[in-house]
Amino acid sequence: MPETRRVFHEELEQLHTDAVRLAAMASEAIQAGTAALLDFDLAAAKQVVAGDKELDDLTHSIEERTYLLLARQQPMAVDLRALVTTLRIIHELERIGDLMVNVAKGARRLYPGPLDPKVRGILDRMRRQATAQLQLATDTYAERDPAKGSALADMDDVMDDLQKELYRTIFGSGAHDEAEVQRAVQVALLGRYFERIADHAVNIGERVNYMVTGAFSPEG
Amino acid sequence: MKRVEANHVSAWYGGFKAVDDVTLAIEPQQVTALIGPSGCGKSTFIRTLNRLHEVIPGARIEGEVLLDGEDIYAPGIDPVSVRRTIGMVFQRPNPFPTMSIRDNVSAGLRLNGMRKKAELEAVVERALQGAGLWKEVKDRLDRPGASLSGGQQQRLCIARAIAVEPQVLLMDEPCSALDPVSTLRIEDLIAELKDQFTIVIVTHNMQQAARVSDSTAFFNLEKAGDPGRLVEVGPTSTIFTRPEDDRTEAYITGRFG
Repeated sequence: MPETRRVFHEELEQLHTDAVRLAAMASEAIQAGTAALLDFDLAAAKQVVAGDKELDDLTHSIEERTYLLLARQQPMAVDLRALVTTLRIIHELERIGDLMVNVAKGARRLYPGPLDPKVRGILDRMRRQATAQLQLATDTYAERDPAKGSALADMDDVMDDLQKELYRTIFGSGAHDEAEVQRAVQVALLGRYFERIADHAVNIGERVNYMVTGAFSPEG
Repeated sequence: MKRVEANHVSAWYGGFKAVDDVTLAIEPQQVTALIGPSGCGKSTFIRTLNRLHEVIPGARIEGEVLLDGEDIYAPGIDPVSVRRTIGMVFQRPNPFPTMSIRDNVSAGLRLNGMRKKAELEAVVERALQGAGLWKEVKDRLDRPGASLSGGQQQRLCIARAIAVEPQVLLMDEPCSALDPVSTLRIEDLIAELKDQFTIVIVTHNMQQAARVSDSTAFFNLEKAGDPGRLVEVGPTSTIFTRPEDDRTEAYITGRFG
């Protein structure tokens, strides 16, 4: 029998595509924000802050269209789950954008640098780890394949270890005066931002699992 | 309040088999919705639940329908008394057009031999209250039933059905001829009535099934000319968010039909 809700399903597909595009923008923000920080490039940092508006705009556009489809099409079953999942996922991605704004602003707070080489190395590894996790989460969503995202929880342990390593390094550096303590706190916060980004990636993977199977992840 | 159990029910119109082997338990104090594409047998099936199917010449059924364990098709059971216990509301509001509103509601009772005016008046008021129509018609009970709007007429038919105090209320597309506001009124009424009656509703409108029912049964037919079968039944909350059967999923998301 022929499909009866072709237009609706095309709109659903468009939302899915746009959410994947939002994920790509979040991934770019991670690169740009970290680069601005590590290079103490204040102009680049400013661009990351401005660029977040684009990410927010797309988030709102997807959100509004999702509400419209919910109201107008009264979706059921897998379509309902896909739309609710869209809302949840774009929220995670939008938060990633906000966190990268914080990271980029770190360039200003720690200006003019330089960062301790070891700290710099750990932050760059955190960038790579966050990017890898977001990439996997995005693929999981794009391909609607929860099995793909099953490694996300384990990957997150790597990120947690990096955060611990960062904290140990900060404590080992032995801040002497208030200025140094302030810098140490800023660096600790940066680690926290990356760690949160990785968590958002894990959440996305769990959401895809719900979207496809209708069941919440055991740890979700 | 009674439980209805259909066991291996099949139904025919002459040589044409419309329903094949449906086994379905309908729980009391719940609304059970029957959904599915045209020709899936849901309307035929609901008519087997109060022996209305057999009224059509050449129509017959196999299997059994138990009302609290008693087979309504057992020899010696009077179909009329079955229909008194298991009432029905139809797609098009069908009040007796020239009969007054009052007489429409009391028709079944008078047919059953109730004569006392005071008693009849009391039942008429109670039934109209129950159907959410009392306030609108209490000052014009002598006007003909046909003078009411479509939505009011349907509530009048519900009043007529509940006046004889049935145990089960069957509703075959009760809102399909009504405007959206009247539809929502009937849906609210269904929610109120389920405390007193076991309710089964056939609806083409999936959103309506999702709104009013506790339990949903999906009927389907493989292809034109095939009999309808029960595909899946479950809590409405599950059927419309994560149905188990792929055919249910395809139907409720509009990927076929």
